[in-house]
Amino acid sequence: MLEFMDYVQHAFYNASHWNIENSYSQLTATARELLEFETPRGLRLNLSSLSSPNFATSYAIGSVGLVDGALSYLYTSLPLHATSQSGDIDLHDVIRGYRQIQELRRQEESWTWEEWQGGKRIDKRDTLFYGRLYLPASHLEALYLRRISPTQQLRMSAVSNSQLRNGGTILALHQYDVGKYSAETLYSTDGGLIGVRGLYNFGPDPRKEIREPPRTEDRFYGRFSAGAEMYYGSLNKSGGVSFGGRFATLPAHKGVPLTATLTLNPLMGNLSTTYAVKAGKNLALCSKFDFNVYSYESDLMLGCELWRMKAKVQRVRERSMAAKLEWRLDEPEKVPIPEPEEVAGVLKARVDQNWKIRLLWEGRVKELLFTLGSSIDMKRSDQPIRAIGLEIQYSS
Amino acid sequence: MAFNFNWSPLTADADFYKMAQDMLTTALNKSPKPPIIVDDILVNELNLGSVPPELEILEIGDLAEDRFRGIFKMCYSGDAFLTLKTRVQANPLNTYLFSKPSFTSPQPLAASSGLTIPLQITLSEIKLSAFIILVFSRQKGLTLVFRNDPLESLKVSSTFDSIPFVRDYLQKEIEMQLRTLMMDELPAIIHRLSLRLWCPEFRAKEEEEIIQAEKLEKEEVAVDPFASPPQDAVDARGNVLDATEISSLSLDSGSEIHSLFSQKNLLRLAALTDSHRTLSLFTPSIRDAVFRAWASPSESAGTSTPVTPSLMRSTSSLATSSTTYTFNKGSDDGHGNIPSRPSLVSLPSATTGLSLGAGRHSRSHLRKKKNRIVNLRKAKTTDDVSESGDGESETSGVACSEPIMPTRIIEEPEDNIITPPRSPSGRVRFRTSSIDLGDSPRKLRLSTPSRALPLPEQVIVDDEPATTPRPRRPSLKKSTFTTPQPEKEKAIPSLQLSPAPELIPGGIIEQAWVLKMAGELARSRDAKARGGEGFWSSSSEGENEVEAPPAYQAKAQV
Repeated sequence: MLEFMDYVQHAFYNASHWNIENSYSQLTATARELLEFETPRGLRLNLSSLSSPNFATSYAIGSVGLVDGALSYLYTSLPLHATSQSGDIDLHDVIRGYRQIQELRRQEESWTWEEWQGGKRIDKRDTLFYGRLYLPASHLEALYLRRISPTQQLRMSAVSNSQLRNGGTILALHQYDVGKYSAETLYSTDGGLIGVRGLYNFGPDPRKEIREPPRTEDRFYGRFSAGAEMYYGSLNKSGGVSFGGRFATLPAHKGVPLTATLTLNPLMGNLSTTYAVKAGKNLALCSKFDFNVYSYESDLMLGCELWRMKAKVQRVRERSMAAKLEWRLDEPEKVPIPEPEEVAGVLKARVDQNWKIRLLWEGRVKELLFTLGSSIDMKRSDQPIRAIGLEIQYSS
Repeated sequence: MAFNFNWSPLTADADFYKMAQDMLTTALNKSPKPPIIVDDILVNELNLGSVPPELEILEIGDLAEDRFRGIFKMCYSGDAFLTLKTRVQANPLNTYLFSKPSFTSPQPLAASSGLTIPLQITLSEIKLSAFIILVFSRQKGLTLVFRNDPLESLKVSSTFDSIPFVRDYLQKEIEMQLRTLMMDELPAIIHRLSLRLWCPEFRAKEEEEIIQAEKLEKEEVAVDPFASPPQDAVDARGNVLDATEISSLSLDSGSEIHSLFSQKNLLRLAALTDSHRTLSLFTPSIRDAVFRAWASPSESAGTSTPVTPSLMRSTSSLATSSTTYTFNKGSDDGHGNIPSRPSLVSLPSATTGLSLGAGRHSRSHLRKKKNRIVNLRKAKTTDDVSESGDGESETSGVACSEPIMPTRIIEEPEDNIITPPRSPSGRVRFRTSSIDLGDSPRKLRLSTPSRALPLPEQVIVDDEPATTPRPRRPSLKKSTFTTPQPEKEKAIPSLQLSPAPELIPGGIIEQAWVLKMAGELARSRDAKARGGEGFWSSSSEGENEVEAPPAYQAKAQV
């Protein structure tokens, strides 16, 4: 489940029309959500609030061994009008599972942002500041997010901790996204790491006027994307490269939605494939296979996600008194408006070839969002349950 | 003067290699490993080679038969080699991300995917030149300290020899690691090895520690306060509990256990243990307690350390009434004199309970408590005196057996719980045969004192715990003398421990006195024998601990 501050950040992305999914680092997002989710450890309570459209606070207290906590504050220059009450939040927004990619949007022209008054430009760039202090550990996280233009974004994150070398690190990330392709460059002060990432989407260019409607009658109506990343640590002279491709069906696809990815690390000889299908309205399945051509090591992971909806109570309509008096039946109902189904909970489970199992049950009780998780290692017969945890969130 | 250094026996001993490999493996895996190493470091092969190091004696500070101190100059350029095996992470990006906060991590998609490579490193052509300070004493073992950095050069060959960058890196890293190993770990290893070779006490201590650790685990469960409940057991509100209530208490209900011991005694015991720690001269006296310090070995026989309550219990039971076994019974007298008929009815089960109870001392505390309200007395009150006399005669058997017990006790003080009171259990089982005899055994009993004396050895020899009665036992004599009430047999251990035999009524006093003297004699004899040994061993141990040689305190490897 997304933390409240992440939820607010996503709300910022949505409000500023930034497509976070169009990035090479999000290529395997579906598999990551379904297979590599983290289970909570110990008991954790989150108390958060979006007190004004521009300001959010969050307090967390947890007990893993000893009691620890975190304070976080967020300020954004762009007023956010997302639902923040934990009783009302749509669980689809905070629980990440199978990620359906959307049709590419055409980016706004930069002049649409311009505001003039008295011959001067007065428009400001949308900005977000975020800080979090972990208390007994004296660990400080800070984030600065700025939309430079409709196609560009700057993201700087920093960590300060006396335990770290040099007292902390800063990561600067510049993102450029025109829809058809996106590119990111990053620099980290830790080891002087420089990185470049790029993603190219095959298919129609959203910047051009679309002449003909999409041919959804094809067997698969989807989009193929390919990308690459490259890193080089200028101080420790180390690097890394990977290539990847993804095919995913678009919402207009008539069959079963699916996502398949292939990533390749030519330096390390690592090859990884994932395949995820949304088998039903409430069920998603995912598998991942890793293979290393140099060491012949392999790994297999299976996972599933099951949404449980609340059973709808069928309303039995009684014959109205007026109809009874007039010796007739009630008029047949008009086409009922489908009420949105309410989510009772989401079960996520995954198992790998070493029989390490992770279970996660997320849902809402009254006004509280909860996450209950456990990781189990079946290989260790003496103590199979390795961790168990409960996370409770309340926000207003 | 000549020194004879033997290099070959070390190298010839296959056992030594195995041991040294194990020690090196544990030493290498002790410190937290860098993220690049993803598996344990295993010492695959170790060979000291055939070329011994050259030693030059620079100075000899101390020389005696059992100790030596000197400074050497050592040069070594032999053919020893060492092979290590482990697995390393070959992706630098993976290790780079390992210890970084995730918040500022660049979160690469697949560029950080791991590649683990098995790595084999062989260290050979080791050249050493060092000044060594060697201190040897038979008790403290061998201490070896390098005065300077001993490593001159060595050759590292690994799986990655073809890549010059990796080779150089490994060479550098390993040289550094080996230096710390030589300076810090090796002296500790050698010291431990030497202790194992020369000091039998150390070896014994090590083994004992293992046994102790195992025992501790068992004992946690085994010490059952209900095995020997205090005599005036009261619950939290001060109401007197009787035996059935106590037995109904379980170990799980922790709070109730505490209320079974009197608060005052607990405080005193606490003060007593504190006085050990604080060296306080004041030791609170605890009434009716036999302290280890002035208890002779035989007296401490029946109990392991924490079970002093049993001592108190037994004495008092003797004093109040020799007929009942459990204290609570003894304390509330109304119950103590249960009419004999009903108790007779409950005999069959009672006997097993008794034999168990007798076995409790022997088998220590593993037994669950049984209800032991047994009164075998037949109604004749006039027999009371003779009965108690019988009880004493019973104990006489044990008292005579005392000489045997201590000899066993000495060797393993932990085990002494097992040995001594087997005799009662041996006897108990015959009771069933005699139960139905009614009065007749009593007559026989009168004659027992004289006969009991020669018997105890026999009794002790049969070691079976014997929880079930065995009527097929051949000797009738025994059966006669085993007839007396079980309660008295319960009291037997108490007599050994009792400081006050004067309480015993009339005719038996002589008998008891003779027995006590015999026991006393035997005990003192044993005390002498044991005292000699004990002092020696304890003093040597003490020295070991007090003066740990400097090299023993190896620094934590960085």
